Amino acid sequence: MNKEETILKLKNIVKPYIKNQEAFDNLNENTDFINDLKINSANLVDVILDIEEAFDIVIDNASMERMLNVQSALEIIETKLAEK
Amino acid sequence: MIGNDVVDLALAKVESNWQRKGYLDKLFTTKEQNLIFSSENPTIMVWILWSRKEAVYKIIRQENGLRGFYPLKIENTDYDSGIVCFNEMKFYTKAVQKGEMLHTIALKNNQFDQISELNPATKIYKKDEIPFIISNGKNHFISKSHHGRFEKMICLF
Repeated sequence: MNKEETILKLKNIVKPYIKNQEAFDNLNENTDFINDLKINSANLVDVILDIEEAFDIVIDNASMERMLNVQSALEIIETKLAEK
Repeated sequence: MIGNDVVDLALAKVESNWQRKGYLDKLFTTKEQNLIFSSENPTIMVWILWSRKEAVYKIIRQENGLRGFYPLKIENTDYDSGIVCFNEMKFYTKAVQKGEMLHTIALKNNQFDQISELNPATKIYKKDEIPFIISNGKNHFISKSHHGRFEKMICLF
């Protein structure tokens, strides 16, 4: 899976939780889940669980700690997929 | 420093399903999960514990700039006294429920009598990301939280 495909998949995952449509439409590597997309922090765990399911990976606590923006989500997904 | 967190319980019910598989394990320690499962109202317990963590997280962020998602490191260690710990640091919290609004305040000491509620429209200033207001020429730390229908702003005098 290339980066564009992963971003697209990620975009579909965060869609139900976003509160800022404009930031969502312009989603890119620099997009922050909380500051830009205004995702509720209690929903951030849903995003993480959805990523685990969609990519069939397990996100450990240390990785979860960094899971605040698209860039780190991509890095974490890539690392976890490589470990499989 | 001061932190607060508001939960609109009706909105939380729609937005979050804490019974989802894996959900509690990502947010709550074993000790906290025991509190949830032994509670008469597990849903309220989930939001009280969560909102205390959120209010404490605001203080941690302001003091150390430690931005991140590390809910398991912020633990409700003594539920009845409202004590929440992060690393070696101890925080005091108070959660009050009024109808469908849950409002939690976190402090580094137990002096809840030094807190006043302000009109959320009060002008806020920020220095190094830390919000404060100016009252009678003096700076006072504030915290503001909004969820659904409710918004609360509190100040440490």
